[in-house]
Amino acid sequence: MTKNIRYALILLSICAVSAFLLALTNSITAPVIEEMDHQSRLRALEAVSGGLEIGEQQSVIGVPYIDYMIPLTKDGTVEGWILGLKSAGYGGEMTLVASYARDGAMQFAQLLGHSETPGLGKKAEESWYMEKFKNTGSSKPVPTSKAMLSDSDAQAISGSSVTFNAIAKAIAAGSDWAKREGGVQ
Amino acid sequence: MKMNWNELTKGIFKENPVFIIVLGLCPVLGVSTQVSNAIGMSAGVLFVLLFSNLLISALRNFIPDSIHIPAYIVIIASLVTITEMVMHAFVPAVYSALGVYLPLIVVNCIILGRAEAFAARNTVVDSILDAIGMSIGFALGLTLIALIRELFGSGTITLFAIGGFDGVIRIPWFYNNPIRVMSLAPGALLLMGYLKAFFDWKGARKEG
Repeated sequence: MTKNIRYALILLSICAVSAFLLALTNSITAPVIEEMDHQSRLRALEAVSGGLEIGEQQSVIGVPYIDYMIPLTKDGTVEGWILGLKSAGYGGEMTLVASYARDGAMQFAQLLGHSETPGLGKKAEESWYMEKFKNTGSSKPVPTSKAMLSDSDAQAISGSSVTFNAIAKAIAAGSDWAKREGGVQ
Repeated sequence: MKMNWNELTKGIFKENPVFIIVLGLCPVLGVSTQVSNAIGMSAGVLFVLLFSNLLISALRNFIPDSIHIPAYIVIIASLVTITEMVMHAFVPAVYSALGVYLPLIVVNCIILGRAEAFAARNTVVDSILDAIGMSIGFALGLTLIALIRELFGSGTITLFAIGGFDGVIRIPWFYNNPIRVMSLAPGALLLMGYLKAFFDWKGARKEG
């Protein structure tokens, strides 16, 4: 009994010192990481805005895949929206931002956060990846399966179908929302 | 204080963790697509191995045998988490490139292997020398594989961007004629096999 209590106390002391060191490191690195994430989000919004004026962020409640929306305006007229999208990828939650025209056509998209597998799903953060969704969602449907892609695009996403489906569903949901909001649907 | 320099040098060639002991192959095959990834992973392993060997050796008389594995895991996991947080904050490009392999240092056989086989039985100084030697051996093995894979697979050598230099050295002939399989997983396995055979042959020739 005494031996077990001694073992428990030894493990407790090792865990306590570890927890203290982790908390100390976190207190130093967390603000740096937060600022970096903020800057990277601003850059992503700027990149998907297509030169339009970025408005104030508003929450979107009760719509699957959509977290928030930001109106894109030109001379005071709403020309489209940036949508903050969330979807479940292979490695967990993925977040992305995508801009839409009033007719639901996806303009630009960028992945913000993910835990996808390097060499497979991680390819989604490269700029060419989102090109296959560009200008889809209006007259042309958003490709939500490999069969809707060209051979070379289907080859490029080989081995990462879960990631592709997650992104495609989120982009399609965004497109439907933009169409409703734009009065097309 | 007596320094046993053999503990430092053995990990570099005679007991190289990658080519001779064949430990930690998962990150070696996974992150060796670019030289910069290999350098980042080597730095992470050096930090974790150095401090885990140091702490485990210093605490070897304090940690009873029956609870040594959970104690070592807590120490190693904490060091890896610290490395992960520091890299995320200060070298985000390397953090992003290493992806899942960075937290997986926790289960890297080199770390727990050296803790069990060496640090738990030897003095702090010898354990530090062992950690430095093994880390240099791991870094050399990993960087050699990354250098060959990136050179043949992409025709580039990726280092770190400094000022106007974007960090990528393009090697003329190789850049226009890449052997793509070298960038992929089969290329890593093939290369590892050939290098292991080469080092075995060298070792056998030396003994013979």
